[in-house]
Order: sequence, then structure tokens, then C-alpha cells
Amino acid sequence: MKRKRFLGSLLGSPLLAAAAFQDDQTPKSGILGENDWRIPSYLKPGDTIGITCPAGYMTVAEIQPAVQVLKSWGFNLRIGRTVGERDFIFGGTDGERISDMQQMLDDPSIQAIMCARGGYGIVRIIDQLDFRKFVEKPKWIIGFSDITVIHAHLNHNYRIASIHSKMCNSFPEHPELAEKGQWESILSIRLALTGRRIEYPVSFDASNRRGTGLGILAGGNLKTIETLAGTGSDLRTEGMILFLEDLGEYLYNIDRMFYNLKRTGKLDKLGGLLIGAFRVKPDDPGDEFGRSVYNIVMEQVADYKYPVCFNFPVGHVKENYALKCGVQHELNINSDRVIFREAL
Amino acid sequence: MSNTIPPFLKSGDTIGIVCPAGYMAAERIVPCVNTLKSWGFRIKIGKTVGGISSNYFSGTDTERLEDLQEMLDDKDVSAIIFGRGGYGLSRIIDLISFKKFRKYPKWILGYSDISLLHAHIYANYEIATAHGPMAGAFLDLVPGDPYIESIRELLSGKKMRYSCNPHLFNRNGEAEGVLMGGNLTLMAHVLDGPSEFKTRGLLLFIEDIGEYLYNIDRMLHQLERAGKFQKPAAVIVGSFTDLKDTERPFGKNAYEIIRDILSAYEYPVCYGFPVGHVKENFALKCGVEHRLKIEKDGVLLEEVNS
Repeated sequence: MKRKRFLGSLLGSPLLAAAAFQDDQTPKSGILGENDWRIPSYLKPGDTIGITCPAGYMTVAEIQPAVQVLKSWGFNLRIGRTVGERDFIFGGTDGERISDMQQMLDDPSIQAIMCARGGYGIVRIIDQLDFRKFVEKPKWIIGFSDITVIHAHLNHNYRIASIHSKMCNSFPEHPELAEKGQWESILSIRLALTGRRIEYPVSFDASNRRGTGLGILAGGNLKTIETLAGTGSDLRTEGMILFLEDLGEYLYNIDRMFYNLKRTGKLDKLGGLLIGAFRVKPDDPGDEFGRSVYNIVMEQVADYKYPVCFNFPVGHVKENYALKCGVQHELNINSDRVIFREAL
Repeated sequence: MSNTIPPFLKSGDTIGIVCPAGYMAAERIVPCVNTLKSWGFRIKIGKTVGGISSNYFSGTDTERLEDLQEMLDDKDVSAIIFGRGGYGLSRIIDLISFKKFRKYPKWILGYSDISLLHAHIYANYEIATAHGPMAGAFLDLVPGDPYIESIRELLSGKKMRYSCNPHLFNRNGEAEGVLMGGNLTLMAHVLDGPSEFKTRGLLLFIEDIGEYLYNIDRMLHQLERAGKFQKPAAVIVGSFTDLKDTERPFGKNAYEIIRDILSAYEYPVCYGFPVGHVKENFALKCGVEHRLKIEKDGVLLEEVNS
């Protein structure tokens, strides 16, 4: 039944021909060409951004700093009904979250959807969302952490670009007091949404592995990516530049997650690897894992040649720049600097 | 599907003990060794038991791999019992050679992280394995403990038969199929990789420990979205212990989460089966045909006579 729905949702899309050859519900693709991806229309002042809570809850008061900033950029806002709703950890029941998101996906007067926050909850509703209208006329979906599920879902099924960035819960109440990196990360959302070419200052890390790479950008929260394996939202990484971040996990668990990426074939054909912030849960005394995130990553990529960048400004930290998933980027790491930018 | 059943053990046969994952001090396996000896078995202790490791693991990847490989390949070892789980098999599973093991299968007993080995062997080689208590479980042994006793019964080839109390959430019914399953985290971990197994027709059992409730929900949705709950013959829910919750409560306990997800199906489901990270943890023959009866008075799981 799921399979039928999956195929049905692809009708009329260029993916159908490829999907027809797959006998499994989790098709593995060949190398994706740049032209296979679609980029939603960039926003102009006067366009409308919808705000919804597809995962964790958030109050109307809590989104005000984001509302002020987005308005100051010249955008109109549509606040979804799930903002201020609460069903335990969720921003409303599954049904409420589906209906709010669905309305925003379908409404032609909304040009972008910013998820208010992450948390947990999208895998509970993603298969009930109907992306047909969205696929006909793509719009930007913005968020990270649990929103990785949506980025991966678009990557797996529709090849439509989306924005991995801070959400409403990260907008500072007093922008003038915000740290430079934090505020620049917020400003980068505007740049990404309005079509500016992405190019970020990446601080040099001596642990980097040098090299150059070119590829569609894909990635997000490591734990979330691991728990999409085998599903209809499984992240495709072949030929891509993969970025990863996580927080609150033990090192042994991060190690296991990297083995999951390896054993599901997600690390062997990358154009490059960007390691963002990993806010690790400290080892329990007596159970010292004995390896750092750097060790864990380098063990996994030792057999490959692609460039690896550490300390990339993405993750649950202040510096978390907006990234365009599904858009071609270039990565150039040499002996003293890193260049990461959208390909022309 | 008919899986290969390793030969059962006779008095005088040798059981190997290794630690392929987390570290375990040598003295902690002594009660296990004594009990196995009292059952008439000889014991071979691997180098990874109480090794010189100073970190999380019982040894380097190479040491753990070599120790396990030696036990798998040694024709004088008729069964392998793991010292403990933890984490670590993922790091070496793809380096293990099962060539000799396939030719001369032997019983492999463990759970938790060892679920990966059960899944890998079942998925790739169709050889039965044993899911059950490991060396650490012998530490507070009281005479006649039925869970430890079930190890002896399993290894010696007795037809297995287990019963447990009814549970309010049970979906009564009868089902027959191959018994298979293990730790939920590991079952999610193997999806789409070389150790993933098909669940169609199985009596599928799950258990877990120490996870956040939302993460239990997430993993169950992953398995559901991967189709793993669509066609088992039945689901056997073991213990979900030491679970953690977020500051704002998830609002459901593990069994309620599972019941919600399985409500889309009609096959029998029982809860509270004695398998998991608790003392009540029967040795189960994975890959072997069983019959499950869930009735209002209780649950019976028994091996089908072939």
C-alpha cells in the first residue's frame, strides 16, 4: 500500500522512469546529475513565509523574535495553527500537524515554509503528507535537526532543493546583543532565500583532509539520517557533498551511526564530507570510548580520497549557516584555507 | 524456510567465552564458568575476557575480531557464549569470516549488541542462533533459575517451551513461524545494510533498554516505514527498561507506543514476554520454527516439532 502511494506520488515526475526499475521500496539511485534537481523560486520582498510546527511545540510568543526579523526583511507571514498548539512534546496531534503543513504546502500564496523548531515528530507524519502540489510548484522548506527528515524526503523522492538553517527558536530576542556568528547565521537565511550565491567563511582546521570536490549538497542531523535508512526518505548521497551534525549522543553511539552510514553505502562515493558541530555527551566514567569524533570520522573515510572538512559551521551551535540542500556546491580544501560555495 | 540447526551439545563438549564488544573483568565470568562446568561442559576462555584494555572495548578491533574468529573456526568449540554486549560488533562484523562456521555451525548465545550477529547470520547464512542471557547473568544465580536453566535446555537440544502471563494490551490469537528478533536499536541499525533480515512470516520479538521514549517511537516508525511490521506472523514484545523521557513528557510509555504502531495490523501481539535486559530473559532459538498461542489466560511459545 505504501509502495503504491509512493509510486503514485511520483506520477508525472521524471523520477518515475527510474523508480519503475526498482523492485524494492527503497531504490538506490545512480549518480544524480545537476540538472535533475529543481530549485524553488527565490523570494522577493512582499512574498509570504508560512510558519508551522511539524515536530516540537512552540508558543506564539516564542516565535515573535523570528516574526519581527522576517517582517523587517520585507516578507509577509502566515502563522500556522500548530504554533501555540501542544500535544505533549509535539506541536499538536499528528492530525493537526499534518493538516497545517499540508495547507502550507498547497497554498500557492505561500512561497516558503519555515519550521518553527525541530525536536521530534516528522517521521510520524511524512508519509501522510501529499507533495503533489508542492512538486508541481516547489517552494522553500526551511529548518534543521528533525527537519532533516523533510530535506532527506525531498532528496530521496523529488530532488527539490530546501534550506537547512536555524529556525524560529534560534532568532535572538535582541539582535543587537547577538554574537556575530549567530546573527550572521540568521542573516544567511535571507541571503539563501533571496537567491544570493552561498559562500561562507569556513575556519581552517588542521585536521582537514585536503582536496577538491563538487556535488549536490545533502545532509543534516546524523541520528535522523541513520533512522531514515531503509525507509522511503532514505538520504541519497552518491556523488554529493555530505554535511553532518549531531548533539547529545555518546561517542560510541556516534561511532555506531557512522558504521550505519558506511554499511548502507552512504560514505563511499561522496564529493566531499563536511563535519559540523558534534556536541557529544561525555562518556560515563570507566566507559571511556577512547576515540574522538575526528578519529571516528577518519577511520570511516580512510579508504576514500574525497576532501573532509572539520569544524564546518553547521549544527546545534551559534554558527549554523543556511545551506541549500539539493544545490550544486564546490569545496576546496588546501593547506591553509577552505573554500565552500555554491557552484556557478 | 528451513534454517540450519547447529549440533546440540553433549556432556564434555567445549563452550568458548569471548567479549566482542564492551569490556568485562575476568572475575565476572567466574560464576558462569562454574555453572557451565557443573553442567558437564568444558570451557575455553578467549583473550578478550578481562583483557588489558583501558577503554570502553574489551580489546582493539583486531583483538576482538581475532578472538571471535578463533572461536568460530575452532572445531573443538561447540558453542560460543558472549561475556557481555555493550557496543562494538558493528566495528568488526564485516571483517568476520563465516566460511568455517557455515561448514561447521555452532551455537552462538548472547543478546543486546549481539543482536547484530543474530541478524547477520540469519540474513546471510540461515543458521539458527541463541538469543539469551550472557556470562554476566550468572552473577547472582539462584539454584533452579529457569532463565539460566533455559540456556542448558537450549544447548542440549530440548524442545523449548515458554509461558508468560497475559497482558492487557495483548491481541489474542495463534501463529506459527520462525522465531527471530532482538534489540530494537540494533534492528533499526541494520536496516538497508548487509545484516538486514526479512520479517515476513516471523514471530518477531523486540526489546530495548536505556533509550528515550521519543527515540523508541522514532525507531519503531523507521521499522514500520521500512515495511518490517507489515507481514510478520506475530510480534512478541519483551521488556523495555530504564527508558528516559524528555523534560516535557512524551505522554506514552513504550508499550503504548508499540500498541499504537501495531494497531494498523491484525496479527497476534503479546506484551511482557520474558526477554530483554532483565533477569526474566529466556534463551530463545532464533531461526527456529515456533508456535505462539496468546489467550486470555496466558501466552505459550513452543518450538514446533519438526
